[in-house]
Amino acid sequence: MKFGNLLIAGITTGSIYAMFAVCVSVWYRVANILNLAVGDFAMVGALGVDNLYRVKGLPLPVAVITTLVVVAVFAYLYDQVVLRIAQDGRRPIEGIVVTFFFTFALSFFIDGVAKVLFGTDVHAAPTLWGGRALTLGSLNFARAGLLVLACAVIIGGAFWLYIRYTLGGKALEASGENSVGARIVGIDTRQYRRLIFVGTAVIAAVFGIVESPITGFTYLSGATISLTGFLAAAYGGFRKPGRALVAGLFIGVLEAMLGGYVSSEYGDTVLYAILAAAILAWPRALGFESAVSG
Amino acid sequence: MSAAGGDGAAGGTAARAALSVTGLSVAYGNVVAVHDATFAVAEGDACAITGPNGNGKSSILMGVTGMVRRRGEVAIFGTPARNGDVKWAARHGLTLVPERRQLYPELSTADNIVLGCYTWTRSIGKARRSDAYGRAVDLFPELRPHLKQLAGTLSGGQQQMVAIARGLAADPKILAVDEPCLGLAESVAKRVYDVLAQIHAAGTTLIVVEEAPRRALTLCNRRVEVRNGMAGAA
Amino acid sequence: MNQFLAASSRAFQWSSAVASSRAARRVPRGGVPSVIVLVAGAIIVLNYGLLYAGSVFVLSACYAIVTAGMAVQIGFSQQIAFSQSVFFGVGAYGVALLNTHAHLPVLLAGVVMVVAAALVALLLGSVVTRASGLALAVATLMLPLIAVGYVSGTDYLGGPVGSPLSGTLWPGSGSTTLVALGGGLIVVVLLAAVVLIASRILSSDIGLELFVLGVDERTAAALGVRTPRRKLELFVLGCVCAALGGVVYAGTQQFVPETVIDPATELALLIMLFIGGRRSPIGAVIGALVIQYLQGASNWVSVNILIVEGVLLTVVLLVDPEGIAGIASTGIAWLRRKPGPATVPAELGPAELAAAELTGEELAPADLAAVAADAEREAPDETAGRAARDATLLEVRGVFKEYGGLSVLHDVSLALPGRGLFALCGPNGAGKTTLLNVIGGSVPPSAGEVVLAGTDITRRPPHERFYQGISRTFQAVHLIKGRTVLDNVAVACLASHTASIVTRIGRSRLDAARAKAARALADLGMAHLAGREASSLTLETQRMVELARALAPGPRLLLLDEPASGLSEEQRQRLAALLVTLAERTCVLLVEHDLALVAQVSERIFVLSGGRLVFDGGPADFRSSPVVNSLLVGS
Repeated sequence: MKFGNLLIAGITTGSIYAMFAVCVSVWYRVANILNLAVGDFAMVGALGVDNLYRVKGLPLPVAVITTLVVVAVFAYLYDQVVLRIAQDGRRPIEGIVVTFFFTFALSFFIDGVAKVLFGTDVHAAPTLWGGRALTLGSLNFARAGLLVLACAVIIGGAFWLYIRYTLGGKALEASGENSVGARIVGIDTRQYRRLIFVGTAVIAAVFGIVESPITGFTYLSGATISLTGFLAAAYGGFRKPGRALVAGLFIGVLEAMLGGYVSSEYGDTVLYAILAAAILAWPRALGFESAVSG
Repeated sequence: MSAAGGDGAAGGTAARAALSVTGLSVAYGNVVAVHDATFAVAEGDACAITGPNGNGKSSILMGVTGMVRRRGEVAIFGTPARNGDVKWAARHGLTLVPERRQLYPELSTADNIVLGCYTWTRSIGKARRSDAYGRAVDLFPELRPHLKQLAGTLSGGQQQMVAIARGLAADPKILAVDEPCLGLAESVAKRVYDVLAQIHAAGTTLIVVEEAPRRALTLCNRRVEVRNGMAGAA
Repeated sequence: MNQFLAASSRAFQWSSAVASSRAARRVPRGGVPSVIVLVAGAIIVLNYGLLYAGSVFVLSACYAIVTAGMAVQIGFSQQIAFSQSVFFGVGAYGVALLNTHAHLPVLLAGVVMVVAAALVALLLGSVVTRASGLALAVATLMLPLIAVGYVSGTDYLGGPVGSPLSGTLWPGSGSTTLVALGGGLIVVVLLAAVVLIASRILSSDIGLELFVLGVDERTAAALGVRTPRRKLELFVLGCVCAALGGVVYAGTQQFVPETVIDPATELALLIMLFIGGRRSPIGAVIGALVIQYLQGASNWVSVNILIVEGVLLTVVLLVDPEGIAGIASTGIAWLRRKPGPATVPAELGPAELAAAELTGEELAPADLAAVAADAEREAPDETAGRAARDATLLEVRGVFKEYGGLSVLHDVSLALPGRGLFALCGPNGAGKTTLLNVIGGSVPPSAGEVVLAGTDITRRPPHERFYQGISRTFQAVHLIKGRTVLDNVAVACLASHTASIVTRIGRSRLDAARAKAARALADLGMAHLAGREASSLTLETQRMVELARALAPGPRLLLLDEPASGLSEEQRQRLAALLVTLAERTCVLLVEHDLALVAQVSERIFVLSGGRLVFDGGPADFRSSPVVNSLLVGS
């Protein structure tokens, strides 16, 4: 049952990639900025809860809520100060390349602050649902993994319902499709830019908290998480959250299979080589052309 | 400098001014698109804004509806409009059907139209049950079979109709239509103008920006001529 | 009077082009930044070479060699490829291996590795540069990830520890002082050379090509830029600079840690580039210096370097997206600003015209000769064109085009002679623009042939078709933002398609192209707009500039996509007159909605509907045709 267990592990990591990919692509649709700092918010979530709970001795729920509030407030302030000057000023900064570097700088900043606050050791948020792995036949389900999957399904489902069945969700879609057209019907695109930025920051932090018991985080883990989310989002052409989700799951499963069947040492190297080859072979099918012209 | 609606209403009609614009200027960076435009549109009018392109016709509508920041006074039914606030203008009855339609290509036709209701509600149920939405859809029987289709896959003429329907879903008292026939074949343009005439007949004040005055004047009873960013009654 | 005005404004344009070329002759292109680097670098190395400050300088100069190349590739031409850290590692590790195991001197090993890196980059580049934009970025993002996985698992490279080398960059043995200072000087000389080469490429005619390529690859191809070749050249250039940086890094640091190949190095290099100024080689050098010196500025800064870099990058980009170089050049422009009239007159007034008359007499004989020679070269073309006026120029045979099962063009065939005005009409979605794209080469047909003057060009890329005389405008205006109107037109006059990027280190043909562009603008009465930034014009004027750009190279076949869209009645009439004149020399194919205009000017009209050619005839038939009436007029 090696295959089954690898598949479970793959789907678990894949769901994490998928969620980060969706966070990247949803915000890219609205703000036209690729967010490289998503993973850093996840890192802050995990290490923040760990710090408040283990070091400062706060009760776990208080630690979680405090961390999420801090992340939300920080994201809000960043939007209000930096993004407002960059995008809403008299001379808005255009071009995906330059705006990308703003989130790049943000990522550096968060990592630097995290280094000061949390040190450089590997830590993790406390396990929320402890105990032995659940077994079904010869399949093993780690509890932390199930928790990750549950969070992914709940958050993803809530988001899908919001897009599908509310006018606000459709307005969000509209501002991603055509910002001029959105403003015509009175949609405040900046408000959505802010809402999604803060929202994705908090969601990322939640995933950091539930995922960190599996892998453990350092202050530099954010970049790696962002990178996988970014790659999965790339396969959705950055503009298609649905495709990004599928790509994230697929990359997670592929990674687990390569690690399990090909080589545990060079599995990642092979994975990246396959992903690069796929882009070069089918750029159009993977949605890159539209991302470039849009 | 606050010109009341009545002052701006030219033409000596008894009807009150639906829209009055005093000393409107719009600039993009260093390029001044509209310079000191003053005109008024009475309730029930169909007003054509004509003039060569590049002389700021569209910019007038952009400034009036609040899509871009402006200088000068704009009053909608006598109430001074807030600068740069599209939603305020829409709630007070002024809706724009923009140049090049500006639809959301990967949303369905129905969603495109229902988003017009965003100006006055956040509830999708209320929006779908509203008279404004119902009227907007009913006005275009040719869109009926395409309601579930993605708007980006519609033909140019159908897209223009979706844009007008979206404008109507906002329940406007004044509908500002910018170059409705741009890039449309003659036969489709005719259908668009028929629809605009129907909307006008139903009591909505119309403002149509049109480069070719011939076509506009088949519908409109008043005309504002724009030259080099200056507007004047003609 | 009008003729006089036109003549004098033309003279003004020429003289300004000549003046700029003369100014350029006084100081060689790219000379100033590289001399600054050379002199300042030498002074720093000789004075502080043995101190900490000096060693930081040498280290940052190693990185600056890389970032200067990135400024050309990533900043200026916007070909974002994350290949630098990998090639930096190839250079560094290669030198370490050759020095330690094969006992080659470092300098020789460096030459070997740079050549090897160029070859590897050529191979790798010919695969990855097939991708564009984000696809290129994401595909090359995998390179550092793959490389770091490989190196950390490989023993002979030292694995996670790194690889030491015993030799030094300074050849021969000597005192430690000599070795340190000599090595530093070699790095400074190489850096100055890289800056010189980078600046000269960017200021040449190919620099203009690269700028257009960065803004919009498709437009660039339609204007004759050999995009695949340029992208490959850029990739190789970036990789060679990176490898060279790695070589001098290994030679001066005498140790290659595994971190050089880490993605973090790639990020550090990008931060240097963007803080310094992404488009300017000298800015890239400044960025490398700033970041390296910051790290040693104080204990607090080096501990919190991530915070400092994050804040610095944010602030610099908020002030100016062009980085420190952008801020500096704005500052210099502000200091140089003379009191008096604005720098660029929006419209030439009488005073400027008088000035134009005066400067007009300063035309150098050599430049006049060049202009005359240019004119002569065009003249035989014209007689040849006249001889072949009735021969078929363009033939479209049985063209089909399908997009995902949707048939856009269905068995379309048409033939056009060497001159005359032809129109393509049809309702929206009839496939008019697609047909134009098939002729222009940006869209390959699913079946069928496109033949230009007897040659089958169906499989030829757009830039080749441009040089065979097909020139076009776009439905949505595609001018290059951030460049003057003159440069926008000059892009079409470059004639640099066979030249390699390397040749432009020697000399630039930009002035010749600009002179030709100035004439094309003057011919359309737009000479006074030459100095304006393209996006500051109204959309209608931009359309006219685009027309000028299409006309400037003297095309055989002119494809115009809705040129009258958005023009006033008056402008339309002027356009009609212009088109009629043009049609006496060339073949013009016009896509247009304005039926009155179409019937007025064209000698033959094609009507497409649902991808099929449903009408083909003269204006008289066109007006009376029932097919046309039902389709387009709707009666």
